[in-house]
Amino acid sequence: MDFFAKIAWIIPLLPLAAFLVLMTLGRGFRRAGAWIGSIGALGAFVLSLLVLSERLKPHAIDYSYNFSWISIGEYTLRIGFEITNLTALMLVVVTLVGLLVNIYSAGYMASDERITVFYGYVSLFTFSMLGLVLSDNLLSFYLFWELVGVCSFLLVGFWYARPAARAAAKKAFIVTRIGDAGLLIAILLLFWNMPGHALDFTSIQSIFGGHGGSFTDGITTVIALLIFLGAVGKSGQFPLHVWLPDAMEGPTPISALIHAATMVAAGVFLVARTFSIFEAAPAAMETVAYVGAFTAIFAAVIALAQNDLKRILAYSTISQLGYMMVALGLGTMTGAIFHLFTHAFFKALLFLAAGSVIHAVHTQDIREMGGIGSRMRVTAWTFAIGGLALAGIPPLSGFWSKDAILTAALEHNPLLFGVGLATAFLTALYMTRLFVLVFLGKSGSKAGEAKESPLVMTIPLIALAVLAAIAGFVELPWNGWLSGWLTDEVIEPHGSVAVIGLSIAAGLLGMLAGWLLYGKGIAGSQPLASRLPRMVKLAERKFYIDELYEMVFVKSLRGLGACLAAFDTYVIGGAVKLAGSAAGAAGKLGLRLQNGQVQTYGVAAVLGVVAIAVVVIGRRMLS
Amino acid sequence: MPEQTLFQPLTWSDLLVMAPELALGAWFVLLVVLELLLPRKASPSWIGGLTLTGLLGAFVLVLLRMIESHGEVISLLGDSYRIDDFASLLKLVFLAATALIVLLGLGTVQQDGVIADKGEYFYLLLPAVIGAMTMASSQNLVTLYIGLELLSITSYVLVGLRRKSSLSAEAAFKYVVTGGISSAFILFGMSYLYGVTGSVQLAGINAALPGALEQYEALVYAGFLMMIVGFAIKIAAAPFHAWSLDVYQGSPTPIAAFLAVVSKGAALAVVFRLMFATALFANSDRTAVSGVSDELFFIVLLVAAASMLYGTLAALRQLNVKRLLALSGVANAGYFLVPIGIAFTVGHLNNISEFLFYLIAYLLMTIGAFAVHTAVSRAAGHDEMKGYAGMYYRSPWTAIAMILFVLSLAGLPVSAGFFGKLFILLGAERAQAYWIVVIMVLSSVISYYFYFGLIRQMFMRSSNGLSPGADSLDFDAEEGYPSRTPGSPSPLALKEAEAGQIETAAAAEQASTEAAEPEAGASPSAPVSGLADGVIRIPWPTGIVIGVCALLTLGLGIMPGPLMELIQQVFSFPLPSH
Repeated sequence: MDFFAKIAWIIPLLPLAAFLVLMTLGRGFRRAGAWIGSIGALGAFVLSLLVLSERLKPHAIDYSYNFSWISIGEYTLRIGFEITNLTALMLVVVTLVGLLVNIYSAGYMASDERITVFYGYVSLFTFSMLGLVLSDNLLSFYLFWELVGVCSFLLVGFWYARPAARAAAKKAFIVTRIGDAGLLIAILLLFWNMPGHALDFTSIQSIFGGHGGSFTDGITTVIALLIFLGAVGKSGQFPLHVWLPDAMEGPTPISALIHAATMVAAGVFLVARTFSIFEAAPAAMETVAYVGAFTAIFAAVIALAQNDLKRILAYSTISQLGYMMVALGLGTMTGAIFHLFTHAFFKALLFLAAGSVIHAVHTQDIREMGGIGSRMRVTAWTFAIGGLALAGIPPLSGFWSKDAILTAALEHNPLLFGVGLATAFLTALYMTRLFVLVFLGKSGSKAGEAKESPLVMTIPLIALAVLAAIAGFVELPWNGWLSGWLTDEVIEPHGSVAVIGLSIAAGLLGMLAGWLLYGKGIAGSQPLASRLPRMVKLAERKFYIDELYEMVFVKSLRGLGACLAAFDTYVIGGAVKLAGSAAGAAGKLGLRLQNGQVQTYGVAAVLGVVAIAVVVIGRRMLS
Repeated sequence: MPEQTLFQPLTWSDLLVMAPELALGAWFVLLVVLELLLPRKASPSWIGGLTLTGLLGAFVLVLLRMIESHGEVISLLGDSYRIDDFASLLKLVFLAATALIVLLGLGTVQQDGVIADKGEYFYLLLPAVIGAMTMASSQNLVTLYIGLELLSITSYVLVGLRRKSSLSAEAAFKYVVTGGISSAFILFGMSYLYGVTGSVQLAGINAALPGALEQYEALVYAGFLMMIVGFAIKIAAAPFHAWSLDVYQGSPTPIAAFLAVVSKGAALAVVFRLMFATALFANSDRTAVSGVSDELFFIVLLVAAASMLYGTLAALRQLNVKRLLALSGVANAGYFLVPIGIAFTVGHLNNISEFLFYLIAYLLMTIGAFAVHTAVSRAAGHDEMKGYAGMYYRSPWTAIAMILFVLSLAGLPVSAGFFGKLFILLGAERAQAYWIVVIMVLSSVISYYFYFGLIRQMFMRSSNGLSPGADSLDFDAEEGYPSRTPGSPSPLALKEAEAGQIETAAAAEQASTEAAEPEAGASPSAPVSGLADGVIRIPWPTGIVIGVCALLTLGLGIMPGPLMELIQQVFSFPLPSH
């Protein structure tokens, strides 16, 4: 039976309906907003679960439906949706996190004047993201890809009264556009070269999987790299990572939904969806792996030196997305999707818990917090679970997915394995630092009035904490259930003790170091800054990437802009003035014709006849 | 070469085939009598409702005929009247458009005191639409001309219906004179064609033309040129459009919509049939389309190019919405002429479906825009663009519908107009008429400027002087020809509005609901009983028209496929028979 797969197209329509209803209601219905948004998300989640349960049966056949959208001449553009194990899994992740964020926001955004608008945007985002997941072809995928970008823009800049939020929204939009341009070119190249201009994933897979068609190695590599550029932009990979930390200006539930669990993972999903192209282009695969590895360690180092609670988590997200890219680059799609799956839960959890803290203390600076743990027990415990999962401590979910990636790395590329291990160490270190500074120790300046958040916020935390703890069991080193389900290839269970041991050691060492440095304070209150001042300064300023971009791109583009503006003013403007005066002259003539005198209209008609005759005769004489 | 069977009497079976036209005619006579019997107070809305019923009945009859005949062609009256799928589809379009216009009229008639007691406002649309249907079915120059005159003469009356308004009277007068000029051109051209070919049958002309060309080449050219120009006046193609601005402005808005959609559509349909049935013939060795034929189609393209460019350029400075819509109609006449002018080529045979699809899109967006305008102009008390100022805050749903229509007129997604233009553009590209493609794109881009000017108005808060742009849009009511003062606001304001800034002034919403246009009644065409208090009231019939048009415009903008396939499935346009 594939009944639910057949009606899967309803899933995105539920949040869309919620969006439309919310927009129609306007700002008046504040309480109804949360209900409508949550009901839409709940409906989508239940349906997604049903779809997934169908997929879990053995030998479920992929279902896809498409119809012809526009036909122009011989070319017919078909769009539709597709249910595979991968999309079914993504559906559940997106709708589950979406649902929890909807519930959570009822508490977090309760006092905001525009809460209905907020829920409208969130519903629109959920619709777009689900549409992206369900798309069976690159074109509609791209449409939804842009739509989630728009929603991200709207939600990052939700508090548009704050200049920082406006700037961040613009930055997020513009930086990701660079990647989007790459993806668009890739789609155009595919359209140009695919037999029958097919853009659906099935055809792409069969063409590239069969190592053939009209694609040379060169063009395949170019397409793969351009697709990856799109993923780099959306998933905040180096060098386009700069927008993601700034995007933390948006409301925290949004950071959890869009900038941790779903949209930023769309880049990984894109690569996974078009994996056959990458498999046919080894050079692109290596690029993916190395960019991912560099991003992972680079962002982890920056995270260590930041003082803004949400920014630390943002850099951690970048770092973990780097992990997923490494997995893709190593050819283990399962590893990447597995990590995406677990990461969605524990990172959403961390963000929501962080939001709970921020909600209570009204600051994001971790130096002003401290000792909150005793006042906000649920938040502290759930944050700890999320942190441990992120740090890769067994048996929490993050450990298993990280282990899957590290195992693949050890098999294929020891260098990447080393980087992965170092990142794991750094991850544990900065998470320990974060936890110690926020929840333990002496009360900070703003920690005094902290109270536990209301139930509507803590229940999603608890739900996510449970998931963050157990989600890893779908794939164990000695029992590759997920990989068998997700991809047809059967991966030998490895159970490599060495990897497990090293991974645990890195995590524990990182935590120990963090505890010693920040908990015990064995090296003074500024343990790193006093020892490695330059290094810390460098990491604190995010390796001056923003400044570099400011110098190299923004300034030079401004210069170019100034030149173009001058060109615009003098050359184009001159031409426009010329055209304007010409049009003015023509207008005078026109006015003379359009003077309300009907006899003039008749004259104009006769002149028109003469003009046509002259043109036709002249054309004949010329040819 | 005289014709053997010039006259053939009407038979009973013919009556059945012509049932839609005949029924409409009978219905018209009935309504004329009925109006005399009905009490004066009640008559307009009763007559309007009955007119609507009649139109819908005819719609069903045409539809039944179409389903029954299965694409089979029926020729009547000595081959002068032809019922094929092309004609039937056009008739459906005309009837639907007229029905929408009657609804629109019902929405406005109560407020417009001058014509409130006139039933002919509605029932005169019936002979007009019969004329349009006759034109769509004509297979013979004489039938064609009769249909044309039937449509034209009733339109003259409709335009001049507001007898006490000098603007209306002036419009009617100009329309009569221009219509006369147009008829003169058409008849002159027809007489030449008849003279050199000896036939008034389109097929006969087509067959005789290659022979006639050997002797009378210049006369053939002159005949076609005159006919094309005559019809160009009817469809308001530049430079033969000048009447349309004055006439649209002077006539009641629903009638302006009728002229813009049905009159224009019928004349375009005739040009389509005329060109393809007569002017398309092979050269002497039957290998390709004849050079003469090529040049005749080139004339059509020339008019198309002139219309597109003139329509958009002149609209840049236009601030009266009715005149703006008239100019938009000029540009659109150009777009319609493109699929007619590019002829059939080996790689491109979709002219009919492109034409019909755009006609339907044009119908929806034009009637929709006119419908919105009836409500806005009544609220503002004049026809100027500034009546739209702050409309988004006063009446957001109507504003959204209007934005949809404007997007469609500008040819931007997600709207029916986008796909309509796209299909035409791709068709021209496939026919390798690249220069016309360039002109189409160019004029579309230019048109964004004034279409977005209209949208910008809707987002501007005029009442409290918040918007810096409001003052720069000046209208010189005395002269009647608007001018834009220099230093008009940059489109940046629009971008900001789109970026979400519009929500900053929640309080302004209340303020703008009571925003009255301070200088209401600047235009002499202000309806007498118009409530110029700035509140946009939508009577329910108008609301239905706006809703239907907006939904269909959006629907076709998202899913153009089904309609396009439907059109392509049913059309059975006669290719030249030899």
